[in-house]
Amino acid sequence: MTENPSALLIAWLLAPLLAAFSAALLPSLARPLALLSALVTAALGLALTAGLGPWSLELIGPLGVLLQFDEAAAPFVLLNGLVVLAVLLDGWRQSVPGPFLVLVMVLLAGLNSAFVAVDLVSLYVALEVVGVAAFLLVLRQRSALQLWIALRYLLVANGVMTLYLLGVALLYLRSGSFRLQALADPGLGSGTRAVVLALLLVGLLTKAGVFASGLWLPRTHAESPAEVSALLSGVVVAAGLCPLLRLSEALPMLQPLLLLIGLASALLGVFYALAESDLKRLLAWSTVSQVGLVILDPAVGGMYALAHGLAKAGLFLLAGRVGRDLNRWTVSSLPLQQALPLWCGALSIAGAPPLLGFWAKEGLSRNLSGPASSVLLVAMVGTAAVYARLCLRPLALPSGWPPLGTVLLALLLLGSGLLLAPLPPQGSIFKTLGVLAAGVALQQMLELVRRFESPQLKLPQLERLDDLLGGMAVMAALLMGLLLQGGLQWPA
Amino acid sequence: MLDPFRLLEALLLITLLAGLLGLISRRNLFLKALAMDVTGTAVVALFVLVAARSGLRTPILPAPLLDDAPEAWADPIPQAVILTAIVIGLSIQALLLVVITRLARLDPLLDTASFEQLSGAAVAPSHD
Repeated sequence: MTENPSALLIAWLLAPLLAAFSAALLPSLARPLALLSALVTAALGLALTAGLGPWSLELIGPLGVLLQFDEAAAPFVLLNGLVVLAVLLDGWRQSVPGPFLVLVMVLLAGLNSAFVAVDLVSLYVALEVVGVAAFLLVLRQRSALQLWIALRYLLVANGVMTLYLLGVALLYLRSGSFRLQALADPGLGSGTRAVVLALLLVGLLTKAGVFASGLWLPRTHAESPAEVSALLSGVVVAAGLCPLLRLSEALPMLQPLLLLIGLASALLGVFYALAESDLKRLLAWSTVSQVGLVILDPAVGGMYALAHGLAKAGLFLLAGRVGRDLNRWTVSSLPLQQALPLWCGALSIAGAPPLLGFWAKEGLSRNLSGPASSVLLVAMVGTAAVYARLCLRPLALPSGWPPLGTVLLALLLLGSGLLLAPLPPQGSIFKTLGVLAAGVALQQMLELVRRFESPQLKLPQLERLDDLLGGMAVMAALLMGLLLQGGLQWPA
Repeated sequence: MLDPFRLLEALLLITLLAGLLGLISRRNLFLKALAMDVTGTAVVALFVLVAARSGLRTPILPAPLLDDAPEAWADPIPQAVILTAIVIGLSIQALLLVVITRLARLDPLLDTASFEQLSGAAVAPSHD
């Protein structure tokens, strides 16, 4: 461990908050300050990725705040900076109201803290800051629908954080510590550990939008304004993902369980995305499926979240410009300067080489074996089918300015993908092409079904408020049951 | 003989479950928010109970240190933690109530079923 530049790190953590307060006082400075915060965040993310650090920061003694700037946080911090940067650039030529930028900076600061915090109380505070900032961002246009969507989000988020706090209290009662590491301590009874873990996991899984506890996600992300959707789907879900990956790394006994939940989430999201006829809802359901893939493996999860977050933020930003109705998708044409970033994002999530998403998917499928890898293959084919549908749209000649933010994200996906490219073994390229071809074929078949049947395949409606709260409760019960039995043993 | 700590702990967990049950079963939005407050209160009280395990005296030392037995003091750590959580909980309740007030203009009965059908085309409630 290198020597700690503590003062710098604390300044880095507090700078976006300070910028937010200054921007509230001096609205004319809001935009440069927001841009600066995003750049500084991205810079530290890049430094951590490049191998600087790891730094660890302990404030106010062993029971106080513990922050870790390490490679687990690196991709998330980088993602945070880049997505916020893209959102700012995307709205550069429109006049943006002050409160939006202030909230974006608070969100940025909250997310940064959530990524580096490794004690459960700091994490709780960071997650609540993120939740409230996201809630206020959803309320940017105060239509009745958005009031309802934001209310649902806050009810679910706050309800689940209560359970999380309960877990923290029980952990302190038994172990006298708030550290993530205290959970791995063998002195903790297995029953206590199971209950505490179940409560913490249901909180983090709900924040991340995974499986039954993530049913709040599709409608919330789809009905928010485009730039807010980009932030929500790009980085806000990562506030739950990063601690989940840290937990899964510290406690290997959790990995089979997270594998099961992640794959279930991947399939659920893909099925609903395939049945969707609204672009933003399709993207949001696909987020449910992709966050499931992120938690499969703590070694690749960070990179996967980075690849997905960059691509999905770009796609949501574009969705604000190209129209939401997928039934009219093939009728009207798309100007080239919007089509190119769209293809980049869609192909990256589908896993086409040489984009960043391809390398993330490679890492994921390399580390899985047995039945899990076949399920993963099904999810990948489904994902390819979802995004094949987006790519098939007539083109028009470019006109006007290209959308800056999305172009930046597309370039990042392409550039980082090329940087990572020592040529892969032949087999994996052919396998990827096979998956993509199967996806396109599946999409064509589904297109026929869509034409003859009613415009939407009928899947059960899962998104009423009662379903969200019920899904949360079911997930808590499921986790507690499985963990009290000693966790899953499959697959070894 | 039942340990009073255990008894209180059990009562608080029952309160928490009652709150969660209310959150799921009530159809009225205001009651849902209220139920959420009940769960929040239960967790706050649990932290206070955890702090009181080592003693009941407020952990604030006067200038000349008292020579009391150290186990008589309450544990300051959970108290400090829960203070933060109380503030956060309060502000979230406030935000929830503001939104509920706004939504009450659409349906004064605040029945969740009437908000589920909202679509993008719905008329926004006026701002003043």
